[in-house]
Amino acid sequence: MEDLRVLGEFYFSQLLNKPIRDAKGHRVGRLLDMAIRWDSVSPHVTGIRYTKGAHDLIPIKLVDSWDHNGMRLNTAFNPKLTCPIHEDETFIGKWLLDKQIIDLEGSRIVRVNDISLSWVAREGHNYIVLVAVDIGVRGLFRRLGAEFLLSRLDNKFVGCQFIKPLENRTSALQLTREKEQLRQLHPADIADLIEDMDYKQRAAFLDSLDSQQAIDALTEMELDVQVEVITQMDEERASDILEEMPPDEAADILSELSSEKSEELLSLMESDDAEDVRELMQYEEDTAGSLMTTEFIGLPIWLTAEQAINELRRLAPEAETIYYLYVVDEQETLEGVLSLRELIIASPETTLKDLMHTKVVKISPYDDHEKVADTIHKYGLLAVPVVDDQDHILGIITVDDVLELLMPDRPRVEIYSTLIARRRQAKGGHSE
Amino acid sequence: MNLKARFALFFAIMGPGMVTAFADNDAGGIATYAAAGAKYGYSLIFTMLISTVLLAIAQEISARTGAVTGRGLSDLIRENFGVKWAFFAMSVLLIANLGTTTSEFSGIATSFEIFGVNKYLSVPIMAFIIWWLVIKTDYAKMEKILLFLCLTFFSYVISGIMVKPPWPQVFVESITPTLLGTPAFLLMVVGVIGTTITPWGQFYVQSSVVDKGITAQDYRYTRWDVLIGTFFTGFIAFFIIVSTAATLFANNIPIETAKDAALALKPLAGEYASLLFGFGLLGASMLAAFVLPLSTAYAVCEAFGFEHGISKSYREAPVFFSLYTILIVLGAAIVLWPGLSLYHVMLTTQVVNGALLPPILIFMVLIASKKSIMGEYVNSTFFNIIAWTFTLILVLLSLLLLLSTLFPELATNAFRSIGL
Repeated sequence: MEDLRVLGEFYFSQLLNKPIRDAKGHRVGRLLDMAIRWDSVSPHVTGIRYTKGAHDLIPIKLVDSWDHNGMRLNTAFNPKLTCPIHEDETFIGKWLLDKQIIDLEGSRIVRVNDISLSWVAREGHNYIVLVAVDIGVRGLFRRLGAEFLLSRLDNKFVGCQFIKPLENRTSALQLTREKEQLRQLHPADIADLIEDMDYKQRAAFLDSLDSQQAIDALTEMELDVQVEVITQMDEERASDILEEMPPDEAADILSELSSEKSEELLSLMESDDAEDVRELMQYEEDTAGSLMTTEFIGLPIWLTAEQAINELRRLAPEAETIYYLYVVDEQETLEGVLSLRELIIASPETTLKDLMHTKVVKISPYDDHEKVADTIHKYGLLAVPVVDDQDHILGIITVDDVLELLMPDRPRVEIYSTLIARRRQAKGGHSE
Repeated sequence: MNLKARFALFFAIMGPGMVTAFADNDAGGIATYAAAGAKYGYSLIFTMLISTVLLAIAQEISARTGAVTGRGLSDLIRENFGVKWAFFAMSVLLIANLGTTTSEFSGIATSFEIFGVNKYLSVPIMAFIIWWLVIKTDYAKMEKILLFLCLTFFSYVISGIMVKPPWPQVFVESITPTLLGTPAFLLMVVGVIGTTITPWGQFYVQSSVVDKGITAQDYRYTRWDVLIGTFFTGFIAFFIIVSTAATLFANNIPIETAKDAALALKPLAGEYASLLFGFGLLGASMLAAFVLPLSTAYAVCEAFGFEHGISKSYREAPVFFSLYTILIVLGAAIVLWPGLSLYHVMLTTQVVNGALLPPILIFMVLIASKKSIMGEYVNSTFFNIIAWTFTLILVLLSLLLLLSTLFPELATNAFRSIGL
């Protein structure tokens, strides 16, 4: 890498449709597109598409130089010198120019106005490397031949390491880099991105996420978008995702669908999960029951603190909150509650019976939303248990479910985004 | 799926076609149809019926493309034809839509004049209200109220029957193609086509199909939505022409202002005719004035990749909000220009729309016939032949109009020589 020299920088649009001449000055064709290979190193141009008919390329090593009049080859041209496009190569113009991509750094969807390329020399070889895509207004005007109007405006680039095209070039080319960067995004940001996509892009994009991420992102979305995404998915995938979502969210989505569709999806889900969701779906929209989730931590009353912590390790991944632990008997009757802090600082042998608070604030599934909000607010709780007439615990309602009620519109996602942005700044550009 | 479930699904999906259909019979639409009836009697019914069939075809293509691709028309133009063509298409759309917005504001001004409110008062206030409501409130509710106001146009249907037009003659003229070689007649033909099939309508129906999240699977319901909507556009237009022809044309009353078009409602509403007309005009103009600037701003921003959406703030999406605001302000300002005939503004913008339609249609048909984009929903050959013939005719008509406007005598002579 030591002797890497940048010989020049240029834009794809400046070369597009320019004539190609060979060493003798014969016109070979026009530059229609460039094939690039994007392997572990930086993406570099491997060939030039020069004629409409054939898909054969002029290998990049035949290119001698270029200027604003076009490209010049270093030998006499002969069709035998061309080669077909490789499986791991793709045309950048067709694939990127004018298309939408995800800017992973800014986590938003943008449109590519131009492509910035560099001509570099390394170890005696010349390469054309893809540097960045231009998403700014200046790039737009350059394409329209009116860049001079905006020559004082800065170009807006997204470095090629930060782009994720919405159209996959070839299925084999899902870069590990992309996957890694997607994993860095906050689910709320992914949710925003998905909201901006059309339904085909959504399908492709969701496939490129791992399933936990897809579920987290879906959980962050507004209900109407959730419904849209689920209806647009094929049933198998949709039911898989619903299974893994918190049952209260799944129930909300399913109750928005037509009864046929929701029945169909429920029947595809695993019976346990489907049962939970069905149970939640039976509550009217404005009751506490419709807010609650069944994924709480319920611990048997006879456990010792040490056993409880072990049990907690097993149950925690599924639960919506682990800060409150509910103590129940064999019949699932709510006997008491204790906080995570109380459990951790307790001596290992104490039983939960001695640790728990027996005066528990609880509500009925038929209470209205206002009662829930009031209760949570009055006692300063993170979650409140929902019990039936016989004190059997049915589920819990967490404070964020109530917050969502109080701020029904967009803010939820925006609050998250600004938090993330701050955290990123504080840690120098990296989240988490 | 049983019948009930199918109907439920249809009503959930219904909307884009209906709204476009009613917004199609906007201020300019009423003015043009009324003028056509008053000036040329029943002879333009043929043109109107044909353009309604073509409207159905055009709307069907747009709605289908929207459902299959999940994208707006400007987005597709940008991705498939590049930035220069997108720029061209957007310029066309901007000019056409600025004109149409202006004509909506003339409609608003006219209806308020009927209620006795000066346009220098009503237009700025309504412009501000529209601007404010779209940004600050839930537009969907407003849409329902405005659609309800549009129902008053069915009074033309009743009026058209009450005046007892000579039905046999109406029928014969409806199926007889008529083409007079005068520039004024050509102007009216292009105007009628231009008001029935609008560039904005195509963009709008496609993006609202996309917004509703309709996919290729649900598309067959959307097709009905579009077809039923188109039927109503044509149905009402037909009766506007019939009732104005039977009252105004028959008695040689020329239309000078849009208020004169209300005269055709006299048989039904008597002295309340102009009031009834005023409400209908207000509903239609407002509906379109809401939809137009917004959908234009969406389309342009989508094509060039600017941030857009009403849920965004001005700082996030400056281009979007500026464009939206400029369209409303300019549209309202042109209407307030002193000494301008509101009625002529409405008519002229329909002709401009008609002349600017062909480029947009060409893009639409090209996209809908690409198998790589549309897959199994690609245009059939038969469909393409109709679409291209129609586009060609419209291009020819626009050229003829241009020629006859620039060289009126030449055109008249040319027509005479071919026996018209």
